[in-house]
Amino acid sequence: MSPAVVAVSVFGVSMVLTVVLGLLAVRREAGGGLDAWSVGGRSLGPVFIWVLMAGEGYTSFSYLGAAGWGYNYGAPVLYVVAYMSCGYAVGYVVGPMLWGYARKHGLVSLSDIAAHRYRRPWLGAAVAVLATVFLLPYVQLQITGMGVVVSTISYGTIGLDLAYFLAFAVTTAFVVVSGLRGSAWVSVLKDSLVILTLGFLVVYVPLHYFGGFGEFFGRLVDEKSEWLSLPGHGGETSGYGVGWFASTTVLNSLTVVIFPTTVAGYLGARDADTLRRNAVWLPAYNVLLFVPMLLGTAALFVVPGLVGAESNLALFELVTDSLPAWGVGLVGVAAALSSIVPMAVFMLVIGTMWGRSVLSLAPRLRHREKGAAQLVVVVAGTLALAMTYTAPNTLVRLSLISYEGMAQLLPLVLLGLVWRRMTLRGGVCGLGVGVAVVCVLVFSGHDPLWGVNAGLLALVANLAVAVSVSLLGPPETGDDRRDEDVLALEEFTDAAVGPAASPGRG
Amino acid sequence: MNRVIRRRPHLLWLLFPYVLFVVVLPLVNRVPLLVVWLFGATVLTPCAVALARRGDRR
Repeated sequence: MSPAVVAVSVFGVSMVLTVVLGLLAVRREAGGGLDAWSVGGRSLGPVFIWVLMAGEGYTSFSYLGAAGWGYNYGAPVLYVVAYMSCGYAVGYVVGPMLWGYARKHGLVSLSDIAAHRYRRPWLGAAVAVLATVFLLPYVQLQITGMGVVVSTISYGTIGLDLAYFLAFAVTTAFVVVSGLRGSAWVSVLKDSLVILTLGFLVVYVPLHYFGGFGEFFGRLVDEKSEWLSLPGHGGETSGYGVGWFASTTVLNSLTVVIFPTTVAGYLGARDADTLRRNAVWLPAYNVLLFVPMLLGTAALFVVPGLVGAESNLALFELVTDSLPAWGVGLVGVAAALSSIVPMAVFMLVIGTMWGRSVLSLAPRLRHREKGAAQLVVVVAGTLALAMTYTAPNTLVRLSLISYEGMAQLLPLVLLGLVWRRMTLRGGVCGLGVGVAVVCVLVFSGHDPLWGVNAGLLALVANLAVAVSVSLLGPPETGDDRRDEDVLALEEFTDAAVGPAASPGRG
Repeated sequence: MNRVIRRRPHLLWLLFPYVLFVVVLPLVNRVPLLVVWLFGATVLTPCAVALARRGDRR
């Protein structure tokens, strides 16, 4: 049997298993409404929340882009580890805060939260549209990533275009049927395979090619030392110096806690303490992110000369070169699931935001939120697939634009939830300025600017405008709700962490 | 915010990862210390969050 047939068989069986897992997960939830589909009925315990959120964070970028960056630049790629670690720490406070607010008011998404805070349904719709614009490139990123994986592990017998379509078809079918609970179930399979394969590769590859980890690291220090400090192999002209690393870490760590997919994970939790426990253990998963970076640098010695998008395949070049076909298939499955799980949650979140915040503005669709949300998932997936065929881009750049844009929602949403004086006018003006600054800087090629992440500069401008307009402009009138109905301050009271708060129910 | 920190000062542990990954970065940016440092910071982050949680549980 040819290696391609073996690898594709392993892959195919795993994809079937994935869909079956998704179906099993939703069997008991049949007939549930939007809550059951989009936030798992707010019933997921610590293990499911851990695997789900780890699954969202460890995407195909980790296998492809991270190894590619490791190959091209080296240390700068560790910004991913830095911001995820800091973000999980911030999530210790923000997660329970958003969970409590959403549960109290029956909210299912970030756009829903914004609409409730400012009592403007149109604002929810606007946030949903904006978030979709920033999320779609991410869906495209996962389609591209999975397509590349499928094509590579089939040793080229499955072409890229067909592989992209397979990625779209499997994920769309999977998420429409299974919702968040199904994603959590599949995450168990995905995380098990990721831990198994990366744990194996980090031992096997140095042993196979260099005689041991010590020898590999020694050669790296002696021969490729530029790769081991900032700004990495690209030098100062790459822009990935200390300032960029620090500013990107700060910006992304704050953004990740309000990233709509993270919020979906928060809202799926069965109680606030599940999220606090999760914040302790999630950062440990980041240790795995060192593996693709190290394997990317290992590829410098084994397959030198990869240029451009080829460098994204640095890890898979080592895998296909050194492992038997079934091993290639297994690593491929882990990488493919690292696309499917995050992509499923991205699409689910887009569907949820549109179903609840946009389409429900039409009275006819108000009682069909779940069906509308599932339809939007298909439309969003189709759009992302079309973008993949017509507007391909490099992996990392897309994810950075997503984060920089999404970061601009921070003052409107997060500050708005803790500061009553924040006005709708202030939040919207700040958001407009922030998004405009990001677009101008990124699309004119000025990111980073003065060595600082453009998104952080835009966020500073956004915050200054939002606070100034809120303080100096006319105060909000006509909103006579009490502070506890508008703000999310309960997390900061003693009662939030008291004994009575721990064993919550969904 | 001041009131929150006075009541739950252990939440300051949540800033510890920022110290490790951001504040001291210029001091550790050399070969081969940087990668080792970032790895250590990654391992220590769960400990910092655990200390914040331990304070909350008391």
